Amino acid sequence: MSLLELDSVTVRFGVGARAVVAMQDVSFAVDEGETLGLVGESGSGKSTAASVALGLRSPNSGEVLFEGEHLRRRRAAGRMQAVLQHPVWALNPRMTVAASIAEPLQVQTRGRKQVRDRVHEMLESVALDDDLATRRPHELSGGQRQRVAIARALITRPRFIVFDEAVSALDVSVQAQILQLLRRLQREHGFGALFITHDMAVVRYIADSICVMRSGEVVESATMEAFVADPQHPYSRTLLEEQ
Amino acid sequence: MTGTAASRATAAGGLRKLRTSDPVFFTALGMLTLLILASVAGRLIPGLNDGTSSVGGRFEAPSLAHPLGTDGLGRSLLARLLEGIGTTFMLSLAAVVCTAIIATALGIIAAYAGGWAREIVMRIGDILYAFPAILLALLIAASLGPGGTAALASIVLVTVPLMTRMVGAAAAQVVQRDFVTNARISGVAAPLIMVRHVLVNVAGTVIVQATYALSVAILVEGGLSFLGYGVQLPASSLGLLASEGNVYMLTAPWILIASGSTMVIAILAVNLLGDCLRDRLEPRKAVDLT
Repeated sequence: MSLLELDSVTVRFGVGARAVVAMQDVSFAVDEGETLGLVGESGSGKSTAASVALGLRSPNSGEVLFEGEHLRRRRAAGRMQAVLQHPVWALNPRMTVAASIAEPLQVQTRGRKQVRDRVHEMLESVALDDDLATRRPHELSGGQRQRVAIARALITRPRFIVFDEAVSALDVSVQAQILQLLRRLQREHGFGALFITHDMAVVRYIADSICVMRSGEVVESATMEAFVADPQHPYSRTLLEEQ
Repeated sequence: MTGTAASRATAAGGLRKLRTSDPVFFTALGMLTLLILASVAGRLIPGLNDGTSSVGGRFEAPSLAHPLGTDGLGRSLLARLLEGIGTTFMLSLAAVVCTAIIATALGIIAAYAGGWAREIVMRIGDILYAFPAILLALLIAASLGPGGTAALASIVLVTVPLMTRMVGAAAAQVVQRDFVTNARISGVAAPLIMVRHVLVNVAGTVIVQATYALSVAILVEGGLSFLGYGVQLPASSLGLLASEGNVYMLTAPWILIASGSTMVIAILAVNLLGDCLRDRLEPRKAVDLT
C-alpha cells in the first residue's frame, strides 16, 4: 500500500465553456521513505497536484488516498506537512522563529515544555543555532528561513511532506545545503515526499522516482534511474537535454 | 526581504522613528492632544462649565471675562465649545471603534472564506458606498429619530463600507501567503488563523483606515447636528454650535468662527496623522504629489 495515491484525478477551474483543465486523469503514488519528483514547466499542473495531495483542493473526479483511506485534510493534519515555494512568505513576519516552528505541534498538544523541547530539537536537527529561536523572519537569510520552514514541517513527525519548489528561490550553494539536509532528514525520519520542481538537476539529486507533467497530464512516470537512462516521451527527452 | 512583510515587521520601529523625526506627525498629534486636553479641562475647571460663573449678557463679543464671547442665552462660548469638542470626539471615537471592529471582522472573514462570502460582503459594501455619505446618514437619522444614537449609527454605516473594502483587500493578500496555507495544512482552526496570521498582518491598514474614518466621523457628526438630526440641545457639539452660529452669523459671528475653525483644525489634524501613519505602515500606498 502506498502512503499517498492519486487515482485518475481531474481538476477544472471555472465552469462551462470557460473551464480550464488544470489536471487531467493524473495518477501517481508516493511510498513511505521515498521521494517522488514531480517536474514540468510552469502551468503544467504541478502546484494544483500539490494542493490536491495536501487536501487543500477537492478533485472534480478521481480519488486521493492517504494511508489507504480517502484523504480528509482535518483528519490528516499533523501527519502531512508542506514546505512551500517562497521562503519570504513561508513564515509569519510577526511571529518568532520558535512560535512558527511550534504552531503545528500546538494543534496536537498543549504541553508547553514538550513543545519547547521539540522546537529546540528541531532547530538542532536543521542545523540552526538556538539563539535564532527568538528572532523574526526578516532577521534571517533565505537559507535560514527555509531551514525554519523545514523544522516547522517536521515537528509533528509527519509521514508525508510536499516540497513545492522549496529550493527554487535559493542560491545554488544554499540549494545544495538544503537538499543535503533533506536527504539526511528523510533517512532519519523516514517520511515520504512529493518534491515539485522545474529544475531537473535538483530532482535527479533528490528523487527516487519521477513523474513528468505537461498541460495538466502525466506524460511519463518512471524510477529515476530508468528515466535518466531511457526517457520515453519526447518532452522528457527535451527536459533532460535542456538540463 | 521585499514587500509589505518587511515593512510591517518593522512597523513598531518605524513608528518609534516617526515620533521623533516627522514634524507633521508631531504637529498633528500635538493639535489633537491639545483639543482633547482642552475638552477635559473644560469639564474639570470649576466655574467654566458648571453654569455658576460663566453666564453673561446675550451675544457678548469676546472679552477677558468670556474669551470667545457668549451665545444667545448668555452662556460662555468657550465653555460650550470645550463641551462640544468633548461630545464630538467621544461620539466619533465610539463610532470609529464600532466601525473598526465590524469592518475588520467582515473584511478578514470575507477574505479568508473567499468565493460567495467575499462577493456578498463586498457587493453590499459597494451598494452602501454608492450612496452619498451625508444622504445615507440623513436616512438613518431620520428613521431612528434625532439624537446621539442616530449620529453614531449613521457614522458607523457611512464608514464601514470603505474600511471593509480596504481591510478586505489587505487581508486577501495575506490569506494567499504560504504561512496561512501552512497553518491550514497543520490543522490550525480557522478563527485562530484569522487572528494570529491575518489580523496581525493587516493591523497597519486597520489603524490607518480608522484614522481616516475618524475624520469622516467628525464631519458626519457635524453635518447631522448642523441639520438638527445629531446631538440635541441642551448638549453641545461642534456641529450644533456651527448650526447655531449659522443662525446668528451677522449678530454673533464668533460662534460660527470658533466652532467652524475648531472643526477644521480637528479634521486637518486627524487627516495629517492618518497620512503619516499610512506612509509608515503602508508605504506602497503613499503617493508623492510634488
